[in-house]
Formats: sequence, C-alpha cells, structure tokens
Amino acid sequence: MSDEQDEMHEMHEMDEMIESIAARLRPLPRVDSAAKARVLVAVAAERERDRERLARRSRVVRWAGVGVLAAAMAFSAFVLGRDRGAATVTPTAVQTAAAPAADGRPGATSVTLARDVDGSSALQPVQLVFRAPAAKRVSVVGDFTGWDPTKAVMSRDSGSGLWSVSLALPPGRHVYAFLVDDSVWVRDPRAVAAPDADFGRPGSVLLVGRP
Amino acid sequence: MTPPLRLVSQSAVSPSPSTEAIGAESRSLIIHAARGGDVRAFATLVDMYYARCLRFALHMLSSRADAEEAVQDTFVRVYRALPTYREQDSFEPWLFRILGNRCRTAGAKERRHAEFIEYGEVPERSTVARHDSAIAWREEIDLALRSLPEEQREAFLMRHVEGMSYDDMSVATGAGLSALKMRVKRACDALRLRLTEVDGV
Repeated sequence: MSDEQDEMHEMHEMDEMIESIAARLRPLPRVDSAAKARVLVAVAAERERDRERLARRSRVVRWAGVGVLAAAMAFSAFVLGRDRGAATVTPTAVQTAAAPAADGRPGATSVTLARDVDGSSALQPVQLVFRAPAAKRVSVVGDFTGWDPTKAVMSRDSGSGLWSVSLALPPGRHVYAFLVDDSVWVRDPRAVAAPDADFGRPGSVLLVGRP
Repeated sequence: MTPPLRLVSQSAVSPSPSTEAIGAESRSLIIHAARGGDVRAFATLVDMYYARCLRFALHMLSSRADAEEAVQDTFVRVYRALPTYREQDSFEPWLFRILGNRCRTAGAKERRHAEFIEYGEVPERSTVARHDSAIAWREEIDLALRSLPEEQREAFLMRHVEGMSYDDMSVATGAGLSALKMRVKRACDALRLRLTEVDGV
C-alpha cells in the first residue's frame, strides 16, 4: 500500500462504530480456575514425559557403557589370564516414610504403606488418605500418574469425610499432591514437602521402600 | 478447627498478574527464567497470558470448552517450543502464532462437527426474548464477528482487540503487511455493513 492509501486505511479503521465494536469485545473473560489448573497439570505431564524420555536415553547410554566395559573386562581377563571374582551390586535400601494415620482433624492426611514380600523391583501397594468433607472430587496427582488427575481419583467415605485411593507404585522417590474439585492443588500436610514441586504448586515426597 | 483447604499455595489464591501490571523488564526476566526451565516462571507466564489467550480463543471458536482446550494446547506447545524461542524477538506475537494455529485446528474440527449435526439433529436456536439492549447488541456483534471469514476475524481481533501492531500481526500470522491491512479493512467493512442493519444502531 502507498502512504496515501495507508493514511486512508487508518482513517477507515478508526471510526466510531469499529471502536464501539472493539470496546465490547475487549473485556477479559471470566477465567475458570479449574481450566487454568488443567493447563499446569498438562504442562507438568509434558515435563514428566520429557524426564522419562531423558531417563530412557540415559539408561540406553548406561547399558551401552556397561556393555563396552564388560567387553573390555572380558578382553582384559582373557589377555591377562586372571580369574577375578564378580562384584555384587546391592541396591541401596530406600527408607519408607509412613505417615501416621488420619487423626480426625480436617485436612489431616495419612499415608499407609504395606510392603510387598517379593522382588525389590515389584510394585508396592500404597494407600493415600485425605480428609476433605466439603470436597466434591479429590484426585492424587503425581509423577507416578504423569500428573494426570484422572488416573488416581479418590473415593469418599461419606461418614468420615475421608477420601482414599490404593495405588501400586514402584520403589523409589515420588512427588505428589491432591487436586481438590479439579481446581485447588494441596500438598499432603503430613508428608515432607517437595523442594522441586512442579510449576510452583506445592508437592510432597513419598518414599516407597523395597522389602 | 482448621478448614481442609488451608494448605493451598499462595500462587493458587493470589490474583493473576496481568500483562499490563508487569513491566516489560520483569516480563523479559520471567520469560528468560521460563526458557531456562524455571517451572515457577512458566506458571507465572500462564497467569499473565491465560485470560488474553482465552479471550482470543473464545472469539475465534464457538464453544468455551473448545476455547479452553485450544489455550491449554497452546501453553503445552509453548512449553515444548520455549527452548527454540529467541529472546530478542517479541514474545506476544510468538505466543499468538501458536494460539492462532491451535484455534485454526480447533475451528476445523468444529466445522466438521457442525456439518455432521446439519445432517442429523438440528439444534434449536435460542428463543429467549432480548429485553436488554446491551446484551442484544453484544450478541449481534458476536454473530457479525462469527460471520467473518476466519482470516479476517483473526486479523480484526489481533488489531482492534489485542491492540497488536501490523508488524507483530505479521509475525503471528505469517501474512504480509498489505494482506493483513486488507483483511482488517474487509472485516471492518463487513461488520459495519451488518451492524448498521441492526435496530438501535
């Protein structure tokens, strides 16, 4: 467009009716806090997938490294004719944090952990309990659900106002929180706060032990 | 007795900072931190831009659920793409480019669904009497806006509602300046023509 056309264009744009239309469209809409919370949950899930991808890649690299090392050791043993005893690697035991049972105070939560009897890598049964008599829906979000609020929805006991869910988790450290009514993110007050909680939302640490 | 939700984080209850309330320098620092992987900074970015993104998506799409989904997809894609974002570029046109793409994808899905409904059960139009002239005028504006071709609607909203410059619009849409000016002009002409026919204007 030429300068003259530009000028006419600007004048054409700025009339009263267009300004009146735009003024009606400009107010910001009401924001549903649950929808906004879902954005952060979706981004946290994406972040978790990134971590998993990185961990997978790192495992592949580590195993590749172990393969090269094993080949080198076998070659050395063959060349030197030495017979060496194999070192046994024992997995480091992870201390289980079992919070006390719910004591009846509103908001009190508990984590009870029943240990499995076989296999150090087997999934361990974990029960999470959360007290929220006024809530309509509570779910657990954590790295073990990919921060998806639909994967660990808690059941309500109508008499006590307690919400609970039973999960099977792999041994190790997990970060989790409760999502109340799809909008309010609450950390477990009876567990250790996670310093690396996702997206500025509070989180707690759950250590699942090996038998 | 302590209420059950006493442990809600500050960020969950504090009012959202708007883009106007945060200065350009602070905004740059927040974007820089988010780009470096600071999750709290990313949550602040969501707080800053969610309402504006939702406003744009609500005007581009016909259902609130679709608009919220488009905004959610936008932030997930922003998160994925932040490492490739060049900080010397303006953030808002970059964000609106992703948002515009998500709205176009969702709009195409809505149109396919509408075609399906047309051959099935036709939903009834609202027959509620329009007593409030302000509401009626707002509804007429919405109808007029929806009658515009998608590209014109997008250009009109970016220019007159989001207040973007033509240069930023060019980054956001990938279209040239002349094409964008033409789209805005045609959108204005069509809105003017349609709305002058409405009573009370």
